[in-house]
Formats: sequence, structure tokens, C-alpha cells
Amino acid sequence: MDILTVEGLSKSFGGVRALRDVSLSLRAGEIRAICGENGAGKSTLVKSLMGIFTPDAGSITIDGVRQTMRGPQHAQALGLGLVAQELSLAPRLSVLDNIWLGSSEVPVFHRRRALRQRARNALETLGAGDWDLDIPASALSIGQQQLVEIARLLARNARLLILDEPTATLTDTEIARILDVLKTLKARGHAVLYISHRLGEVFDLCDTVTVLRNGEHVATRPVHDMTRERLIELMLGRPFGEMYPASAAGPDIGDALVADKLNVAGMVRDLSLVAPRGTILCIAGQIGSGANVVTRALAGLVPGATGRVSVDGKPLRLGSVPHCVERGVLFLSEDRAAEGIFHQRSVLENLLAGSFGAHTRFRMLDWLRLKRVGARLAQRVAVDQRRLAAAAGKLSGGNQQKLLFGRAIERPQPGVLLMNEPTRGIDVGARADIYRIMRELCSLGYALIMTTSDLEEVVGIADIVVTMYRGRTVARYERQSIAMARILADITHPVQAAA
Amino acid sequence: MSQSAQPPISDRGLVAPVQEGTSARADEPRNYVGIVRAVVLVVLAAVALTTPGFLSQPSILSLLTTVSFIGCVAVGMTLITISGNIMSFALGALVGATAMVFILAANWGGFAFGLIAALAFAGLTNALQGFLIGWLRANPIIVSIAALALIYGVAEAFAAHGTIYAAAGANYGGFKGRVAGIPVEFAVFLCVTALAQFILSLTPFGRHLFLIGSSFRAAEAVGVRTWRAITGAYLWAGLFTAPAGIMLAIRYDAASMNYGIGYEYEAIAAVLVGGTVIKGGEGSVLRTLAGAIIIGVIQVVLVLQGLRTEWQYLIAGLIVLGVIALQTPGTRD
Amino acid sequence: MKRLLDDPHMRPLLILVACVAGLAFIDARDVLTLATAASSFETFATIGLVALGLGLTMMIREFDLSVVGMYSMAGCIAVVMGGTNAWLGVACALAAGLAGGLAQGWLIVRLRLGSVGVTLGGLLVLAGVAYVVTENRALPYENMEVALGLSAPIAGIFSIRSLVAIAVFAAAALVIGLTRYGRDIIAIGSDRRAAMTAGVNVNALVIGIFGFSGVCAALSGALLSYSLASASPAGLSDVIVPAAAAAILGGVSLAGGTGRPLGIAMGVLSLAVLRAGFNAVGAPPYVNEVAMGAILLIVAVLDGPYLTRRLHGLVRWRAH
Repeated sequence: MDILTVEGLSKSFGGVRALRDVSLSLRAGEIRAICGENGAGKSTLVKSLMGIFTPDAGSITIDGVRQTMRGPQHAQALGLGLVAQELSLAPRLSVLDNIWLGSSEVPVFHRRRALRQRARNALETLGAGDWDLDIPASALSIGQQQLVEIARLLARNARLLILDEPTATLTDTEIARILDVLKTLKARGHAVLYISHRLGEVFDLCDTVTVLRNGEHVATRPVHDMTRERLIELMLGRPFGEMYPASAAGPDIGDALVADKLNVAGMVRDLSLVAPRGTILCIAGQIGSGANVVTRALAGLVPGATGRVSVDGKPLRLGSVPHCVERGVLFLSEDRAAEGIFHQRSVLENLLAGSFGAHTRFRMLDWLRLKRVGARLAQRVAVDQRRLAAAAGKLSGGNQQKLLFGRAIERPQPGVLLMNEPTRGIDVGARADIYRIMRELCSLGYALIMTTSDLEEVVGIADIVVTMYRGRTVARYERQSIAMARILADITHPVQAAA
Repeated sequence: MSQSAQPPISDRGLVAPVQEGTSARADEPRNYVGIVRAVVLVVLAAVALTTPGFLSQPSILSLLTTVSFIGCVAVGMTLITISGNIMSFALGALVGATAMVFILAANWGGFAFGLIAALAFAGLTNALQGFLIGWLRANPIIVSIAALALIYGVAEAFAAHGTIYAAAGANYGGFKGRVAGIPVEFAVFLCVTALAQFILSLTPFGRHLFLIGSSFRAAEAVGVRTWRAITGAYLWAGLFTAPAGIMLAIRYDAASMNYGIGYEYEAIAAVLVGGTVIKGGEGSVLRTLAGAIIIGVIQVVLVLQGLRTEWQYLIAGLIVLGVIALQTPGTRD
Repeated sequence: MKRLLDDPHMRPLLILVACVAGLAFIDARDVLTLATAASSFETFATIGLVALGLGLTMMIREFDLSVVGMYSMAGCIAVVMGGTNAWLGVACALAAGLAGGLAQGWLIVRLRLGSVGVTLGGLLVLAGVAYVVTENRALPYENMEVALGLSAPIAGIFSIRSLVAIAVFAAAALVIGLTRYGRDIIAIGSDRRAAMTAGVNVNALVIGIFGFSGVCAALSGALLSYSLASASPAGLSDVIVPAAAAAILGGVSLAGGTGRPLGIAMGVLSLAVLRAGFNAVGAPPYVNEVAMGAILLIVAVLDGPYLTRRLHGLVRWRAH
């Protein structure tokens, strides 16, 4: 009998349809991969299974009994368990307390030996039986915290484990351990839903794969019936060559930014970088490689960064965002919700956020001019001008991201645009728009430096690729020599570190 | 998407326009909250207008005067709230202290000197708090509570619960009456509101306050000089609070730390009743003006309806709580 | 030594010791007396429970502004209802405190409103109720036996009021330290979203904590009014400053997740010792206010998230 059957599940948020009529079923002892781009609906599906969201339509059946999920505790009682993408450990609680946090089995006086033993047993299954149960969770590495989350599920006898991007932040050894653990659990009859971008792991670990796109179920196939290319095409909905506009190999107009011996304690070591104008430079690296920190440091957001950086030949002071903005070095955060968009403010204000000072007459804001400029920017990034007065928080992720790009245009001089994960959480249509915006900016003379954990994107869009591993550069590739296999090798287990 | 020949950049957007999601409307459909608000206001207006004595001149003038003191403080509070710093517990104490500084300085060097000294004192005291909050990101509530204690403590050291009187012969009569038919105090309040509104809507500084309140990290990332803006917000809040203290000192020809007790609570109530949300990022001083007047009207109506003082407090409290409870649900994170 | 200073649970104790030592240094003879200790514990009884309730709301990243109103109202209710039977008065006050706290907690959770706004409204309503109940005048409490009994010295230092406060603190410390609810509260304070995903019943606990805060303020206000033998709707309005200060000194930070009842108790004691000590050495009353404000300011500055980077920036700027 199937452990889980989902039929016709649908969920919308505001005007956005995150899930449309999705159906699938899962047997005990099956490891199912769920693949799809950012925004395909994977997280929404998973959270609906756990009762965090209530679906608008459709049914969830567990062990043959149809259920209305009332919340995470209810889901746990039914044998489901989720390790979410954002870790849910309370940093100040001990490992033991975190394993039992939120479980309904725990009595009021919660320090019981039986519970302690079960926690220890769960950790032993994961090869972590010798850990200290009383240290605070904040003292563990991300990989170890991940194992504690899985231990939490096992201690509560979860039969269906749902893992959302479990290996994104792990080292190689940790990844290997997780995969082994999952194979052990499969042999014991647990079922696993494995959401991941990492196609290598999908092919290594999973029995079957379900592809979601734009909230819809596209296909469910046994893994051995698939090839990697076919899987990518199903995810993207198009042969992926078409997504990325070709770069115009223009004349060499000089280097916009040169960085030498950039250092951030514990994160980035002696990084050097040259970003020519008119090109897109991709820094490729896993989470923890320091790639994101490099762009943030260049943008002035890292107070302790040291090194020599110059823009157009003149030195750039690190640690001050206003200084960087003055010099035309602009930043797009990977977290647009917390560090990019002003949700309550209008689209117009979001477009003009950094440049109010530039549109004044006698030190007073010239609103007529602001509205004109805003309308023009909106048009250039293809955001509906009728929505200039709407609150930016109501726009889709793709349109919000376009607003961030809109801020960077219309600068007196083409500058340097630093971006972290510019297409995270954006649907396919908007992604193609953004790639074209990026190419246009190049043709205007901007230098673009971006980081991304999506290797398809790196190969598709970059003119220059710099690979990073554990804070150091590994290698630099240009145009023809950019290849997925080499980049993947560099960022996961480089043969030698950079000289 | 086709890659065929495209018109030059200046003629078109960077990409072809893309359809927005399924919702065609730019704004959310009006929910029940707005309707309930409107109904409440209409009911309030109806009750007020039909209350005997409300529309009489002395009643209206008294309403306008009382509203002005809290109103100035509320305008200052609005800037602090909009910038995401919730509220300041020290503004009430600042009113009393400013009144004392004014009287002392005016006794020593004349009216104009008193004004300058009072404004400088209020501005600086607040700006210092703003600096700690903006530059070090110290917690705004705790800093304002600390300032409250320090202001009361230092003021007591100077005047020990006493009242300071205006020097004999000081003639503030010109400022105690009316100008163009409205009380001077209300005129000052209107000027303060107008200045604040100007700052908020027509200066980059004002816009930066909204950005900081909406998302501090995004404001930093965009290059806003956050600590300067926050210090400025508190500075102006102090400058807007000072008139309340100065006017009270003029009115009574004396100053004591009893002035302003509880003003910060009434001020933040006016801000919230006006519709500004507590977490910042949006709002306006015009709304605060409306909020202050609404609260004032409620209090006057309750008096005129013959309700005893104690019921006035309770009912006013219930109305404020009601208005706050009606704020758009989910405005908190 | 630095590691000791950094440990959040040690800091309140160190602050308390520093306060005592500092005062003793000024004038040991007058400060280290039974009278000072007794006076400290009286202040402890007056502010302590309010600080505990407020501190717990701060631990979960909320702020209960209404404690001041609750304090007043409970005192008035206790005096009005407790004329013949003191227990009845206390019971009514506690019931009102619980009801008020739970109602505010419910509004905050169900309507998803910020706690500052709701508790501000609550404050105004509760203060209003205090006025109505007393008909806008100060009421005397006739039962002198109870009034004197509450403040009568026990073992030279304590009194019934302070023992009650200590008992409540002890109970709170046990709950936080030993029970599942305590662990969940710390989890909510440290990362609310994570706690919710893990399955903690966040809503119920938030409502419960506001209820508890109401009860604490009510108990405190009722006992104080009895011992002063009077209740006034306009009095006792200055509790928020020492209560918040005590909580902060006790290790509670508005960022949530830190702070324990024991730490809060020590924070309250530190303030109480300062007040009693300043009194004992004959310092004028404003010294206490200024000292409290200065301490709070220093703590706020030291806890400022940007402090280290600004200091480093200054060092580098000087080096150039």
C-alpha cells in the first residue's frame, strides 16, 4: 500500500498559483526525488504535506486514510517529518532539547532518561552516537545541525521523511554520510521525499523522480529511465540553450574592477579578481565557499574586509556602502525579501530607492521628475507602469527582482553590478527577462559580477567563471573553456588550491 | 523568446513587457477594516455634532488648545515610529525639561534666548539618543527608557520637585491669546505639522526614514546613510516636542517636571489611531494630526455627555484599543 | 575573566556583586546593614514580579506595556473588594490580571498584531478601569491588620510580600528550567519560526505568557496597595522604568531567547540594593534615578550590535 497519496493539490497565495492540481503517490522503501526550478512549487507542496499551509483544493491520503493536516504536530503524529531548507533548530537550546522540541510525546517535566536514550539511538543511526547531547545547537556546524534535524525525525518514528535541499550547505564527507543514512533508512522501510537541485545526488540515491514546473506536475519516472539532459529539459520546459542570450564579444573597453588579496576573516582568503567592462563574471561555489561574501565585501557590506580594490583605476574603500554607491558599485542581495525590496513602499520608490538625492530642485524632491524617471525605469525592465503606485510587496518574485535591476540603470556612468543569486525563486519567464537585462547592461558598458549556486546558470550565462572552494579561488575560465564538469569538480573537490 | 532583430534600446524597454500575475488590480480589494473605520468616524462625527455644547466656541477652542500640546509631541513621535524605532518613552519627560530650560534661559537672557536654548536642549538631548540608536544600533526602547530616567534625575537635581517661575515682568501675553481666530497653541501645532509633512514628503531625508523603517538592511544595501537619518529623525522629534514644553511654560508662566507626564502614551496613541503602523515604514503626520483630533474630540464629547472623569478614561482607552485592534491584520512580521 | 563576563547567566550576578561592592566601597558602615537589606527586599517585592512578567514577554520578543496599568488597576480592585476579606480582594485582582493578560495575548496572536500597539491600548483601558473602580479618588484600605502584617519584618530582612515574590520567582525558575514549557519558551524567543516548524504550540504559549505577566503585575499591585493601606488610580505609574531596567540587567535582551527568572531576580535586587544603598548613605533621591538611567544606557550601548564594527572602524581610521 502507498504510504502517501496526493491528489489534485492546489494552493494560491494572493494572485500567485503556487500549486496547480498536483498528484503523486509514494510507497514504503521508496526514495522519490522532487525536482524543479525555483518557484516550481516544491516547497509549497512539502509545507502543505506538513500542515504548515492549508491547500485550497485536493486531498492528502496517508496509509489509505484521507487526512486533513492540522499542523506540524499532527503531521508528525501521522508519521511525516520534514527537514526544511531553513534549519529549524533553536540556537540556544541543547541538541537533546532540539531533538525533542515540539514533540507531543514529551511530558511536562521533560528531562527523562528514556527520551535521552531515544535521542542517542537516533543519532547513532546517523553515525553520530558519540556526540554531546547538552551543547547548544549553535555550537555545531551546519552539517551537524542537519544531522540533528534528521535525528529529530527518527526519534519521533517518522516513516516518511521529507528533506528539502538537505545537502546544499554540506561538505563532501557530510554529504556522503547523509546519502548512506538515507539508503539505510530505505532498507528499513522508510520512504523519503528528496528535494534537490543536485542532479548528481538524485541519480545516485533516488529510485524515482517527480518533476514540477510552474506549480504543475510534469512527469514522474524511474530514475534509471532518465538522462540528466532530459531531466533538465523537463524542469525548464525548454532546451536550456535557449534561455541564455548569447554574449556579444565586444571590444575590450577596460577593466571596471580589480581586486587584489581580498580577505574576510574565516570566509575569504587572498582573493584576486579582474572584472572587465561589458562582461558577466560568475563566481561559482557551494554555500560556505565564500562566494557570496566576496560580492558583499566588494559592495561595502562587510565591515572587516581588507584588501586592495580599485574601480576604473582609482582605489575603492571597503566597508562603506554609500562610498561604493557613489563610485557606481551597486549590490543586489540574494535575499530580496529582507535586503532588497521595501515591501510597504511603492514600486516607484523601490525603483528610485538609492537616488532620491539626485532628483532634487532647490534641495526639495522634484516629484514630477521622479515620476517620469520611475516610469521610464519601469518600462525598461518591463514592469507594468500602471503599478507604479502599488506596494512592491505585492509583486511577484520575478517583478521584484526586476525592480532591483531597475535601480542600477540610469546611472550617470555605467558601473559595476554585484549580484548574489539573481534568479533565485523566480519563474522561467522572468528569468529569461533578467538574463536579457543583464546582457543589455553589458552592452551599456557595465561589468557584472554574480554568484550563483545553479551550475546550469553559470554555464549558460557567464563570460568568465571564477571557481571558489573554502574561501580561495581555484581557477578562472573564459568563454570556450567554461565547462560544467570542470566547474563542478573545482567547487566540490578541487585537486589543487589556487596558487 | 525569439532572438530576431530588435529596435534600439531607446525605443523600447530592455525586454518585451511581461504579463503580471492573474490579478489585474493594482491594489488589494478593500477589506472590511476600511469600511468599519469609516463607519466609526461617521458615528463619532454624528455623536459629536449632536452633543449639546460641542459646537460652542469655548468648547472648540478648548479642544484645539488641549490637542496642540499632545499633538506636537505626537508629530515628533511619528518620525520616530516611521523610521522603525517604535516609540520614545522620553518625550514626555522632555516636555517638562524643555519647559524648565525655557523659563531658566528666558529669565536670564530674554524670550528669544529662551526659545533658542529650549529648542537646542530638546534637539540635542534627542539627537544624542538618535545617535546611539543609529550608529550603534542600540535598542530604541531601552535607550529611551534610560533617557527618561536620566532626564527626570537630572531635572530633579536642579529643581528638586519644585516649580520654576517666570521672572517677574516677563510678559508672554502676546503668545497666550489667539491669532486669526484660533488659539496660538493650535497655530503652532499646525506649523509644526506642516514642517514635518514637508520634511517627510519633499526631502530625500524624509524618504530615507520611510526606507529605513520599511527594511533597515535594504536601506543599508542601497547606500542610505542610516545612522545620519536616524539621528536626524530623533533630532527633529526633539525639535517638534520642544514647542509643547515652551507653550506650557508660557501658558502658566512657570515650569515643572509635572508637565508632560504620560504624554508619550497619549502621543503614540494619537499616532496609532491616525493609522500609522507601529512597525514603521509608512505613515504620515497628517494622519497623526487626525488621530490627535479624534482622541481630543472623543474626550470632549465624553465630558459634555456628562460622563464622569473616570468613565472618560475608560471609554477613551477602549476606543483607542478598538482602533488599534482594527489595524490591518498581519501588519506584524 | 572575560569568558565569565560573556556568559549571559553570570552577568546579572556580577552586576549585583558590583553594585553591592561599589556601595560598600563608598560607605560600608551605613550600607552593609540589616536595614538596607530589608529595604532592598521591600523594593524587590514592589518591582520584582512586574519585572518578571515583563521580562518573560521580552524573552519571547514581545513587550507588555500594560503592566503599569495592570499594577494600578489590581491595587484598586484589591482594596475595593478586599475590605472584609483580604483573600477575596487578592483573588479578584488576580482574576482581573489573568483575564486582562489573556485577552491581550489573544488579540496579539489571533489578529497578528504587534504587542506594543495592543498593550498600549490595554494600558489605557486598564488605567481607565482603575479610575472607574475607585470612582476617581484615592481609597483607604481599612484592614490595618493585613496592611501591617504584609510588611512586618521576618528574620529581620524579609516580609510576607517579599517572600511571596521570592516564591513566585522560584516557581518560574523551576518551570523554565525543568519543564517542556520552559524549553519551548526559550525556543520561541530564540527563533520563533523554527519553533513553529518544529511543532511547538507557539500561539498558546504567547497567550499564556501574557496571562502570566498580567497575574504577576496584579499580584504585585494588590499586595503593595494592601501594605500601603491605600489605592490610588493615578499612583504607581513609574514602574515601567525599573521593571524594564531590572529585566535588561537580568540578562533579558529584546532580541529574545536570553534571560532567566534567576537573572531577572538578580537584576531587580541590583536596582533595589542601589536604591536602598543610596538612601542609606544619604544621597538625594535623584542619584538613584540618574544611576539607573546611566546603567541602562551603558548596557544598551554595550549590547549594540554595531558596537564592535564601529570601534574597529575608529581604530582603523586613527591608524591612517
